[in-house]
Amino acid sequence: MIDIRNVHKTFGGFPALSDVSLRIKEGELVALLGPSGSGKTSLLRILAGLEFADSGQVMFDGGDATNVSARDRRVGFVFQHYALFRHMTVFDNVAFGLTVRRGPGRLSKDEIGDRVRHLLEMVQLGGLASRYPSQLSGGQRQRVALARALAIQPKVLLLDEPFGALDARVRKDLRRWLRDLHDELKITGVFVTHDQEEALDVADRVVVMNHGRIEQVGTPTQIYDSPATPFVYQFLGNVNSLDCHIRDGVAEIGSLTLPASAYAGVQDAAGVAFVRPHDLMLSKPGDGAGAPAEVKHVSILGPLVRVELLLGGQVLEAEISRQRHAELGLKTGQTVLVWPRQARFFLRDSWQGTALLDPETPIDHDI
Amino acid sequence: MSSSLNPLLEPRGVRIALTLTAAVVLLLFLFAPLVVVFGEALSRGLDVYLDALTEPDTVSSIGLTLLVAAICVPVNMAVGICAAWCVAKFDFRGKSLLTTIIDLPFSVSPVIAGLIYVLVFGLQGWLGPWLRAHDIHVIFALPGIVLATLFITFPFVARELIPLMEEQGTEDEEAAVSLGANGWQVFRRVTLPNVKWGLLYGVLLCNARAMGEFGAVSVVSGHIRGRTTTMPLQVEILYNEYNMVAAFAVASLLAMLALVTLAVKTFFEWRYAKELAAAK
Repeated sequence: MIDIRNVHKTFGGFPALSDVSLRIKEGELVALLGPSGSGKTSLLRILAGLEFADSGQVMFDGGDATNVSARDRRVGFVFQHYALFRHMTVFDNVAFGLTVRRGPGRLSKDEIGDRVRHLLEMVQLGGLASRYPSQLSGGQRQRVALARALAIQPKVLLLDEPFGALDARVRKDLRRWLRDLHDELKITGVFVTHDQEEALDVADRVVVMNHGRIEQVGTPTQIYDSPATPFVYQFLGNVNSLDCHIRDGVAEIGSLTLPASAYAGVQDAAGVAFVRPHDLMLSKPGDGAGAPAEVKHVSILGPLVRVELLLGGQVLEAEISRQRHAELGLKTGQTVLVWPRQARFFLRDSWQGTALLDPETPIDHDI
Repeated sequence: MSSSLNPLLEPRGVRIALTLTAAVVLLLFLFAPLVVVFGEALSRGLDVYLDALTEPDTVSSIGLTLLVAAICVPVNMAVGICAAWCVAKFDFRGKSLLTTIIDLPFSVSPVIAGLIYVLVFGLQGWLGPWLRAHDIHVIFALPGIVLATLFITFPFVARELIPLMEEQGTEDEEAAVSLGANGWQVFRRVTLPNVKWGLLYGVLLCNARAMGEFGAVSVVSGHIRGRTTTMPLQVEILYNEYNMVAAFAVASLLAMLALVTLAVKTFFEWRYAKELAAAK
């Protein structure tokens, strides 16, 4: 188990991490998700011992590892650009962590050979042991880097943007494969990514980071379905953010009024409403509830249709099925009724705070 | 006629003119002097050539040159690696100052470099009286020649390694550390192999310059025949005595040193072409 307690880190006056606390359970695969500069890589490097926190603690299995050097941490680190030793064969790369070992833990040449061959089989590179890194494809290099990190039987596996440098198809394959490998080895893993799809697809839990702080921690479903902050809403997937007014438990977006019971005590405040495009329902005028909006543009994206709408001067996007599109017969310039299935409101004034709202307070409304 | 469609290909006339210019310049300024050196050296036969090379003062100048190179090259290799390692792998205050100092010997005239040592260690210099009191000879002796040569040849290894190390970054070293390697293992098994071609090249250049340096050594050596003359100084002395055959004989050795340096470099490149390709 990894326990990160109140870690602070600054680089030349710029705060990379401020008061970050996080617990990672044994055998869990956790994604650190955030834009560049959010501090996710700094946190990973602090876990690896390649960087040290200015204050705060890092505990591994209950023991204080804050000041333990990277060499003694037994942490497997996989670099974004693999950092394979270019003058060594694949075999020697994977064997490196075992051949530099001194003292009682040192393995014999045969034992090292056996373990390396086993690892190469596991990452499906059995036949390439005598190749040099430059003779491998990106995906193969990444797997060599993984095998090399696993060779020292690390307590934790850390991966920095593991698929960042690969093309889309290879990335998808490798993602599946990493998930399977993790399930098989049951090793605690932490990986950094800026790709929300990757985080939601692979991780058991996702840690969303922004400006050196943790915005939200949760399972992929929790993160996607109930984002805790405006940042998480905007970072995870497509979302419409609409200016609104909140008055006595009611939110007004142009001519659309929605219940916002969590803000019953708020008299008159500027707010923002977040609505996912697939949560917007469209209907013909006189044929359902909602506020009238003008169709600006319709684009057909495979099975889905994206409709750009103008509601009270604000542009919003809706995603509907091809079937619904055919039923409505949408044309540019036409007026339709818009009704959100689900929306979430935040007050403008509290934007910058971390704990905008108590996550326990139900502020969604469902229809 | 697909070649005429190549947008990067110049017209035939231009290509021939450029090639001819390059060839003529090479012949006139590089190849011809080389031929002259060997031609003059052997102009009165092999026996005279060998006699000139086995003359005691010449033999001692060869020995002195080899000794100076044998001291300076390893020292500057070690110091150069350390300096490059510091500059390329770490961030610290005064880093740009250090890089400037590393480059200093390149921007200072060798004669000035020699004079600096005379002013510091000479009889009238700062440390002169003290050295004299302790009977230590620096100027007009081996230590002075070594110091001047060290100064002149200092940048070669570091200058060759710094860009290479900077380009490679520190990820390989970090990977090695996280796999459990200690400082020496990281250096010996990761950093050094990553730069070995640059290092070899730097050492070859350093060696060639250490053996061929004239100006700085000339100032500090005192030209004592048979004792403080290195090969380039010996060439000058013999030439000034109109002993053309002997002068060119020693010069031919220096020319051969250049050729051997080139050959060794080419050989290593050929021998390790596969690894070199892998290093890219």
